[in-house]
Amino acid sequence: MRGTFTYLRRLLLASLGCVLGAAALTFVVDPLQLFRPSRLAFYSDDTRTQNAGLIRSQSFDTAFMGTSLAIHFRQSDIDRALGVRSLKLAMTGSNSRQQAFVLEQAIDRGARRVVWAMDDFIFVDAADIEADPFLSVDLYRRTTKGIASYLFNAAMAKESLFAMLRSIPPLQHPLARAAPYLPIKFALEDVDDIYALPRDFDVARTYNAKRTLAAFAYITSPVRSRFLGEGYGYDAMVRHFERDAVGLITRHPDVTFDIYFPPYSILQFVAMRDASPATLKIVTEVTAVIAQRLTQLPNVRLYDFRAIKDVTHDLGNYSDVIHHSPVVDAMVLKWLASGEHRVDPKAPLASLDELKTQVEAYQVPRIKLP
Amino acid sequence: MLFNSYPFILLFLPVVLAGYFWLGRRSNLTPVIWLAAASLAFYAIGNWQFMALLLLSIAFNYGVGHLLIVAKLGPSQRKAALALGVVGDLLVLGIFKYAGFAAENINTLLGTHFAVHILLPVGISFYTFTQIAFLVDAYRGQVARYALPHYALFVTYFPHLIAGPILHHKDMIPQFERKESKHPDAHLILCGIIIFAIGLFKKTCLADGIQPLVALAFDARAPSFDQAWCGALAYTFQLYFDFSGYSDMAIGISLMFGIFLPVNFNSPYKATSIVEFWRRWHMTLSQFLRDYLYIPLGGNRRGRALRYVNLMITMLLGGLWHGAAWTFVVWGALHGAYLCINHAFNALVPKVPTSLVRPVRITGAVLTFLAVVVAWVFFRAERVDWAMLILRAMADPATSVFGREEVAALVLVSIYAALVWLVPNTQTIMGYDHGNRRVGEALRAGRMRPLVLYAASLVLAFGILGIQSHSEFIYFRF
Repeated sequence: MRGTFTYLRRLLLASLGCVLGAAALTFVVDPLQLFRPSRLAFYSDDTRTQNAGLIRSQSFDTAFMGTSLAIHFRQSDIDRALGVRSLKLAMTGSNSRQQAFVLEQAIDRGARRVVWAMDDFIFVDAADIEADPFLSVDLYRRTTKGIASYLFNAAMAKESLFAMLRSIPPLQHPLARAAPYLPIKFALEDVDDIYALPRDFDVARTYNAKRTLAAFAYITSPVRSRFLGEGYGYDAMVRHFERDAVGLITRHPDVTFDIYFPPYSILQFVAMRDASPATLKIVTEVTAVIAQRLTQLPNVRLYDFRAIKDVTHDLGNYSDVIHHSPVVDAMVLKWLASGEHRVDPKAPLASLDELKTQVEAYQVPRIKLP
Repeated sequence: MLFNSYPFILLFLPVVLAGYFWLGRRSNLTPVIWLAAASLAFYAIGNWQFMALLLLSIAFNYGVGHLLIVAKLGPSQRKAALALGVVGDLLVLGIFKYAGFAAENINTLLGTHFAVHILLPVGISFYTFTQIAFLVDAYRGQVARYALPHYALFVTYFPHLIAGPILHHKDMIPQFERKESKHPDAHLILCGIIIFAIGLFKKTCLADGIQPLVALAFDARAPSFDQAWCGALAYTFQLYFDFSGYSDMAIGISLMFGIFLPVNFNSPYKATSIVEFWRRWHMTLSQFLRDYLYIPLGGNRRGRALRYVNLMITMLLGGLWHGAAWTFVVWGALHGAYLCINHAFNALVPKVPTSLVRPVRITGAVLTFLAVVVAWVFFRAERVDWAMLILRAMADPATSVFGREEVAALVLVSIYAALVWLVPNTQTIMGYDHGNRRVGEALRAGRMRPLVLYAASLVLAFGILGIQSHSEFIYFRF
C-alpha cells in the first residue's frame, strides 16, 4: 500500500515538473514576443492574441484598425502609400469595444496616428471588455493572470516546442517552409503576411459579380433576412460609438485619427432596403450621428467611401456584399494619402445623402444563379 | 461545475475525497450522505435553478419505487404505479425538453405564434432515464429495497450526473453499500488519476484543439469540398474525444472513490459495421435503449419486418433523446436505416468466404465510418437544410480550394485519425475491467510501471495546461 502511495506522489510531482517545464519553455521561446522582441519570431493569424505581442515587440508610429474589411491590407503597402511606419491591428468580427481597447494599448506604446476602417456594425454588440471571452485584456495589460494564462498553456507550449525545433539549423529551413501547412499557429515568417493575401492570389476567382450577387440572394432570402437587422438598435449603437470611438479620440488629442467608412458594395444597403428597411434607417441615422460628431473633433479626418459609385456599383470588386478586393484596398490607401472623399465638416451629411439617393435608385441586376 | 476546471481539480475533488475517506473510518452511511451532498453541491454550482427539480424527481421516483418494492399492491395497482412513475418522468422531460420544439412545429403548421421559452435543466435526460430503468426493474421485481441516501447518491453521483454514463442501480447501489470502498485504496486512486488524466487530455488538448476546424464546414456560408470534409471529420473527432474524454474522467474520478463505473466507449470508429458501432459508442445509452425500449417493443421476436420497425422507432426516439430538433430526428432515422440495412445484409449474406473476410471487414469499417460521418453532419448542423448544404459540398470535388488553411486542417485531421485508429483506448491501456472490478493489474505487478507513470504525468500536465477559461462538454446540452 505504502509503495503505491509513493507512486502516486511520484506521478503528481512529475506532473508538476512537466507543468513548470512547459511554462519555462514558453517563457524562454516567447512565441508571442510578449517579453522580448525576437529576430527568429514567427507570427500568427490569431490577431486577437497576436496583437498583444505585436504592440510590445514592433516599432510603429501608426496603428491600423478595422474588421475583416481591413484585414487583408499589407503593412508595407500602408507604409508606402502614407509614408508612415504602421502596425496593422485589424481583427475579424471585432466590435468597437475591442477595437478601442487595442488601439488604446497601441497609442500607449507610441502610435501617433490611427487609421480606422469604421464599420457601422462594430457598434451593434460591444460587450464589456473586462469579461470578453475572445480578447484577453490581461494578456495585453500583462497582469499576473494574463502572464500565467500565457505561460501555463498547452497550445503555447506546443508552439514553443515547434519554434525551438525550427531554430535548430538543420531543421530551420524545412520546418519554416512546412509551417504554414502544419497545424501550427505561429507559422508566418513575415509580420507583413498576417492575414495578407498571397502575392499570387487569384483575385478574380474570389472577387466577382457572381459571388456578390449570390451573397445578396442568400442574405435577402426570406428564411434568413431577419438576420440582417439582428441586434441593430439606434440608442445602443450611438452609446457604444460615444463610449468607444469618441471616448478614445478625446482622451488622446495629440493623436491624429484618419477614420473612414469602408466602400461596401451598394448591395449591402439595397439588401437592407429590400429585406429590412428598419435596419437601413438605423444604419443611416447612426452614421449621420457619427459623421456629424467626428467632423467636429479637431484631431479627426473623416472619409466616406460608401458613395463612390465607380467602386461600389462594380460588383466585380467584391466577394460578398461588403468585402472588397485588394484592388480596392489600394484605392483606399490612395484616397487616404490624397485626402480625396474627405467629409467636409460644413456638410457632414453630403456623402450620406448621395448614398441614400443611390440606394433608392438602384436596381439589382438579374443574373441567373446556380 | 466542470471536470476540466481548476476549482474542480484543485479544490472540489480533493476536499470531497478527503471528507469521504475521513468519514469512512467512522461509519458506512455518512460517506454516502457526504458524497450525495457533495454531488448536489456539484450540480448546484452553475445549475442552482434546477436543484428543486432534481430533488423532486428523486423524491417522486423513490416514492413510486417504494410502492412497487415494499407496498403490497395487486397486479393492476402495480401497473398503475409504474405507469404513474414513467408517465410522470416523461411528462417532466417532455415539458422541459420538447415543449419549445412542439410549439415551434405547431406554429409552422397552423401559422400561430406560441412562444415557449424553457431552459433545459442540465442532466435531465440522464437522470430521467436512470430512474425510469429503476422503476421498470422495480415493477419486474428485480430491485431490492434501497435506503434513500443510497438511492439519492445513485441518481446524483457527481461523476456521472450531468452527462452519464447512464448507470444501472443493480451495478451501483451494491458498490455504494460496500464498506471497503470507503477506505482509500492507493492503487485505485493511482489508476483513477491516470484514467482521469487521459480523459482530461482528450478533452482539453484533443477535443478543444480540433474544435476551430469544425467551423470550416458548419459556420461557412458555402463551404468547398475540402472545407466541408475537414469540418465534418473535425466534428467527428471532436465529439468522440469530447464525450469519451468526459466518460474517462467520470470513470477515473469514480475509481478514486473505489467505485467502478461502466465503460461508455470502446473505440467506436474502429467498428466494422453499424451494429458493432452501436456496441462501441455511448454503450450505456445503447444498452438502455435495447433493454427498456427495443426489447419491450418486441425486439426481433416478431419477424423481420417488425424488427426493422422496432429498430427505426428505437433509433428515432434515441435521436430525439439527444435534442428537440429535426436534425436529431434525421440523425436517428439515418442510424435506424443503417441498422436495418446492416441486419438485412447479414440475413442475405450470412457467411463470407474465408478469403474475403479481411477485405470485407476493411470495406465494412470504411463504409461504417463514412456513414457515421454523414450522420454527424445532421447531428451538428443547426438546421436540416444547412446539413444538406454541407453534404452537397462533400459530394462536389469541383469546388476544392486546398489552400494553406485547408492543407493544415487536413494534416491535423490525419493526426486525429491516426490517434483514433492506431492508439489503444483507455480501458485497454489501463486494463479496466468493470465487470470483474479490476484495473491496472499490469501496473500493480510492476510491468511498465516507470513508463506508464511518466507518460501519465506528461498527459496529466498537458491536460491541465490545456484547460481553457470555459469549455463545456458537448453532451451537457443533451
